Amino acid sequence: MMNINQDAERIAVEVVQRVMERWGGSAERIEDVLFDTIYQERRRLETDPMGTPAQARYYDGLQARAIKAGHQQQRELLREVVERFVYEIQGHFDKRVYRLATKVVPTGLNLMLNTMSPIRLLEGVFDGSGGFINQVTLAGHTDLLQKLANIGTIVLVPTHVSNLDSVLVGFSLYQMGLPPFSYGAGLNLFANRLFGFFMNHLGAYKVDRRKKAALYKDVLKTYAGVTMELGYHNLFFPGGTRSRSGGIERKLKLGLQGMALNAYIHNLMANRPKPDIFIVPCTINYQLVLEAKTLIDDFLKAEGKSRYIIEDDESSKPKLILQFARRLFRLQSKVHLVFGHPMDPFGNLVDEKGRSMDARGRPIDRTRYVFVNGAPGFDAQRDREYTLELADAVVQQYAAYTVVKPVNLVSYAIMQRLKTENPELDIYRLLRTGGRKPSFNLGEIYKDIQLLIEELQVMETQGRLKLDPLMHSNDMVMVLEQALAHLSSDQEHPVLTRRGDRLFHHDRNLLLYYGNRLGLHPAMEAK
Amino acid sequence: MKKDFDISVIGAGAFGTTLASLLTMAGRRVLLWTRRRELADEINQEHSNKRYLKDISLPRELTADTDIKAAVRASDMVLMVVPSKYFRSVARMVGEVILGDQVLLHATKGIQVEPFKRMSQILREETPALKIGVISGPNLAREIMAGKPAGAVIASRFDEVILKTQALFEGSLLRIYQARDVVGAEVGGAFKNIIALAAGAVDGMDLGDNIKALLLTRGLNEMTRFGLSLGAKPLTFLGLAGIGDLMATCASRLSRNNQVGFRLAKGESLQQIITHMNHVAEGVTTTKAVMSHALDLGLDLHVVAGVHKVLYEGYTVHDAMQWMLANRPGREIDFGSERCV
Repeated sequence: MMNINQDAERIAVEVVQRVMERWGGSAERIEDVLFDTIYQERRRLETDPMGTPAQARYYDGLQARAIKAGHQQQRELLREVVERFVYEIQGHFDKRVYRLATKVVPTGLNLMLNTMSPIRLLEGVFDGSGGFINQVTLAGHTDLLQKLANIGTIVLVPTHVSNLDSVLVGFSLYQMGLPPFSYGAGLNLFANRLFGFFMNHLGAYKVDRRKKAALYKDVLKTYAGVTMELGYHNLFFPGGTRSRSGGIERKLKLGLQGMALNAYIHNLMANRPKPDIFIVPCTINYQLVLEAKTLIDDFLKAEGKSRYIIEDDESSKPKLILQFARRLFRLQSKVHLVFGHPMDPFGNLVDEKGRSMDARGRPIDRTRYVFVNGAPGFDAQRDREYTLELADAVVQQYAAYTVVKPVNLVSYAIMQRLKTENPELDIYRLLRTGGRKPSFNLGEIYKDIQLLIEELQVMETQGRLKLDPLMHSNDMVMVLEQALAHLSSDQEHPVLTRRGDRLFHHDRNLLLYYGNRLGLHPAMEAK
Repeated sequence: MKKDFDISVIGAGAFGTTLASLLTMAGRRVLLWTRRRELADEINQEHSNKRYLKDISLPRELTADTDIKAAVRASDMVLMVVPSKYFRSVARMVGEVILGDQVLLHATKGIQVEPFKRMSQILREETPALKIGVISGPNLAREIMAGKPAGAVIASRFDEVILKTQALFEGSLLRIYQARDVVGAEVGGAFKNIIALAAGAVDGMDLGDNIKALLLTRGLNEMTRFGLSLGAKPLTFLGLAGIGDLMATCASRLSRNNQVGFRLAKGESLQQIITHMNHVAEGVTTTKAVMSHALDLGLDLHVVAGVHKVLYEGYTVHDAMQWMLANRPGREIDFGSERCV
């Protein structure tokens, strides 16, 4: 496996050339994109806490130069901005920005994190005996993933609920003996030294989500595409951001997914020896989510006001991460990472030899999908539709490979009972007041979860979702006990507790959040 | 590499033969596939298809064949016009050989009953083709074969499919309009056959034009609501694949579904009618498929329910009509933003 840092220059040159081909044509187009980028960047710098006077001076100066420049000079200025973006993405950051970012980590913890290997730290925290991997269960098509990683380029597209996701995925890939995956991580993750270690291990590049300029987004997409073409496995979260509701993603962002097809066509046109790109969906299934409270609070805010970027949540506070990790360890809480069936860029399943198969299991010559007049070529409208096709297939696999855990089941059951017993209350009032009863009889809840498990077991046999192994036992007492252990594990802020034969609901927002994993699942909505 | 034919039409029933002939007359090189050797010979040698298009001469240049693999490989475009009952099995054969760069069209106005599937869904399940399109509209085969002009839509998610289909039909009697809504085009084409059955029955009972207009309008409403629940766009039903097809099918005695409804009203049993028909009346199975799926979706479709009662629940046409008229009318428009009561 090549080293992405050693290839940095080659990647940069290719990205700049591609972006310039797209934007650097007519004088009008160059002027539009140049001034739009300057405008967007200056606007960002007015409010961005990570913005520096040096950056502001640069864009002020650039504007002055651009106004005076003729067509050719404007083209050169555009190239300059594109190169600047590429180097920022590759990690050549303004040192002052970086210093500011790292200040987020408190000094004492910073020292601890710096002096201790993060892998050892995680091993110690998560599982003192057998290592971190024992807390994480890898399931699904892991063999296929390992085989295909040698045949072509993997684009791993997991569900996303927590900033811990990329760490878990990175560590799991490492355990599976796979090389680091290229991954576009938000700047805030680099600011945290613990995450930063894993980001670098993942081969992460830096994404500044505050940059809104279309040119920047295009550079990012192109960067991902070029790395795919050059054979670097990629990881990205197609939901775009962590799920706020707790449910699995139903709508995906198409930009980066489209780059998989783009890279495939480029590879075919260039006659590369290993042109294939394989897309692998993956679900990450926790019992507890570190940032659950912040995410569901954001979800419940009036529509349109939710924040796309949250930088001050639990994952930015190392103390909370450590407390959370210790809780998971104490609870012996398993995290399930389930790798879906690898697909080609058109959504067809792929076998272990890398051959695409149709729905009847017959091999397909996938190169034919991208033929234009008898040879591989681009067709923007066609390729958009193919990418939609792929997105649909990814969403279907997300549903099929989601593992419903006892916490999800019990939270959903309690929320359903709250709704049934308080039909006059809308969801917001119900969450706030808790309705008429502060608690439910244990026997009633056992009945509810028994019925639900029976339904879910049927859905599992139909391949519509997966169940935590505990739910195969039909032992309702164990299922409820495990859910309760998790939901009451934060003693200061319990979500659900048991006293005698009654269950008390305390934090209904979190019940909604954990229950949504099941309640918003397509199989449940189709009921 | 240039292929031997411009298009391969799969299925030599009335409409398949009509489309193949129409395109041949417009100067296209057309290969028509039929599973029956004697029919292929008749088309090639006698230039006729007496079973489905009695007393009509087919163009001499039209070529028929029984080798489906050769037929699919012979062209860049493949058009399936096969009754819904056989659609899946034929699609599976097409799926053996079709390649990803080929365009796959269909013009079958039916629905698979169990499980409920539109034809393009079957194509996705049985073939590796992605560039799929549907041709739908008011296209009575005999009128087209008589040299009378008509219009239809080509609905596809792919520009390439739309543009290639338009180019193919350019200069022919069939004016092809562009559309994106594959679901709407398929639902419109299939659903209108149910309304045609009811319209034929109204004619057979000689109930007049007012009630026929009522039936068509309510039928269009049900078609739209049903289509919306499957993801169709409402305006599609105001186009050729919706009201256009509905007008032609419900007004013309050339329509097979209309004929079935008419004869049911005259007292013949469904079994008698089907036994003596050369053609397939898709509305009969579509009624079953739509009724069952509407129940699953919680949709209340009165016209469909009335037709279903006659076809599958032992009602006479008269009793079914009484049942329909006994229902209390609700809001006229119930799929939009209009608020009443």
